[in-house]
Amino acid sequence: MRKALSIMTVLASLFAAHAFAAQGVTTGPNGEKPVPAASLTLTAAQEQQVKDGKFTAALVWHEMSEYTNAVNAGARDEFKRLGVEVVAQTDAGFDAARQKADVETVMAKKPSIILSLPVDPATAASVYDPARQAGVKLGFVDNCPAGYKQGTDYVTIVSDDLFQMGNKAGIAMAEALGKKGKVGYIFHDADFYVTNQRDGAFKKTIEQDYPDMKIAAEAGMADPARSEDIAQAMITQHPDLDGIYVTWAEPALSVLSALRAAGNKHTKIVTLDLNEPAALDMVKGGNIAALVADEAYSIGVTLARASAGSLVGLKAEPFYAVDSIAVTKETVKEGWKKSLNKDVPATIADAMK
Amino acid sequence: MSSANTGTEVGSLASRFNLQQYVVYLGFLAIFLFFAIMLRDSGFLTVRNLSNIVLQTAPVTIMAIGLVFVMSAGEIDLSIGSIVAVAALAAAVTIASYGMAAGIVAGLGAGILIGLINGALVAYVRLPSFLVTLATMGLFAGVSRSMTDLRSISVTNEIFTGFFGSGSLLGVPSLIWWTVIAIAIGHLVYRETRFGAHVLATGDNARAASVSGISVPKIRLAVLTISGGLAGLAGLLYAGRLQAAKYTLGETDLMTVIAAVIVGGTLLNGGKGSIVGALVGSLMMGMLNNGLILMGLSVSDQMIVRGLIILTAVAVSLRDKSR
Repeated sequence: MRKALSIMTVLASLFAAHAFAAQGVTTGPNGEKPVPAASLTLTAAQEQQVKDGKFTAALVWHEMSEYTNAVNAGARDEFKRLGVEVVAQTDAGFDAARQKADVETVMAKKPSIILSLPVDPATAASVYDPARQAGVKLGFVDNCPAGYKQGTDYVTIVSDDLFQMGNKAGIAMAEALGKKGKVGYIFHDADFYVTNQRDGAFKKTIEQDYPDMKIAAEAGMADPARSEDIAQAMITQHPDLDGIYVTWAEPALSVLSALRAAGNKHTKIVTLDLNEPAALDMVKGGNIAALVADEAYSIGVTLARASAGSLVGLKAEPFYAVDSIAVTKETVKEGWKKSLNKDVPATIADAMK
Repeated sequence: MSSANTGTEVGSLASRFNLQQYVVYLGFLAIFLFFAIMLRDSGFLTVRNLSNIVLQTAPVTIMAIGLVFVMSAGEIDLSIGSIVAVAALAAAVTIASYGMAAGIVAGLGAGILIGLINGALVAYVRLPSFLVTLATMGLFAGVSRSMTDLRSISVTNEIFTGFFGSGSLLGVPSLIWWTVIAIAIGHLVYRETRFGAHVLATGDNARAASVSGISVPKIRLAVLTISGGLAGLAGLLYAGRLQAAKYTLGETDLMTVIAAVIVGGTLLNGGKGSIVGALVGSLMMGMLNNGLILMGLSVSDQMIVRGLIILTAVAVSLRDKSR
């Protein structure tokens, strides 16, 4: 009973964090204050200590996407710089049971560090307990298992500035529409902290800051594969929409194809995360007006640095947030570099010539 | 195949017989030896790691037993992944309100009920099982999502979680007990009972089976109900192991289960199968996941290598088996 109560308390605090963030501040999943990721550094002596320690790390991801790839690359690069060997990498395909199996499996390599993004924070304690009990340093992206204490059970959480992302998407939409018009809002219809925060921040920004803009249509999307149907229904019912916000880039492509099929060139799309086909449409002057991206590569770097540092006595802050950028036609090159630490793909570079 | 022991070409027939019959065991052994040598310093051979493989594959093994019955009867069940989620959620929600016993009944009952629905549509409405279970897969995936509004439900009843996934008896983890018991019962029913023989006869030639007095609809109803019930049990095992239930449980298992069953020597179009083979096939899938991760491969490389190995195993196990 006591256990049930404590779980409920943790859940309640999670929801409280959601509500608080929607007011305009990004907080950690347990209400932690964000600290800029750039402020985390190791001294030369600490770096040498890490190198001498011959530590190892495993990367236990929730799924693989362009975003995870960038986080993964940041973590690998930073670990390489610090002489920490990455001994395993896994992909749970958004399945908590598989993530548990992955943690158990990588434990056979006795890593000093595990970096991960918990698929299901509310129940993730059972996933990470084998590693925690073995004294592995745990570093998390976005979220942490309910009931875990920072500093003792895990090193830190590194995340996007989620409110800032949704907020920047709202501003980008307003800029694209001249601060007036009707907007469609396609949000992620699932209990997933990251998307819920970003979607909420977009909506709040439009509603609070732009009196001449109106969210005229709303639709929840649980399955990205069905987003084209949702978009089709939305533009059939509201052919006069000036803009559509889509919760992230992959479903935004389906919305784009629905608009194209309808011969619609005036409705602007704003979405989150960098994505090559979406960016290509943007630089060619298509429906996509802006892509808001986080500095995913920095998430990996920061998390790797904090976790490696914790092995030599560094005390990390509970919650680091990286910046985000609204990438438009004009800023696509810089955006790619800043977010993914990569040059813009050749197709986009060619289209810009 | 028993003719392999007679006739003049005993040698060549016997070697074909052996290859076909034992390919799953040889493949398992080859992969095991490969990892044992390649990963000798990487913890692959530790008791902890090997027992993890068995624990992680327990739900897949349990589902595979059901699918051996279904496929041996010439049918297919694509809805098992969705049944897992519905059963786990039904159990988790019921345990929270009415206790463990009610939760177990709700979880298993949900699985059996969905299996009965599948079976009735196939046996008595005479719809193809592929289409019926494709539809119910989607239907019950939707049901599991709406049951708790996409939220995960914690299972805090320690007796339940111990019994179904996290605990152990006589030093042996409960998931291993479940695997052993399910395989033993499944094998006995499949090999030693009239029901098992009737399932195989139905899959081999349904018309002939019907003429010889076997109630083919009853067999079809039964195998799909068994499959539903075992998928329900797999749901309970997931809920016990994770101490929680969520709509995503089982979502990615279908292909693994089908691969395990086929690699294990069960024919896709019925009439022949093996419960023990399915166990070995399932362990092979788990061992592949485990070994490829421990080799330090990137996720994309793991998927490519796993795909190639499964393709090879399926190709070898299906070669010359067409009747």
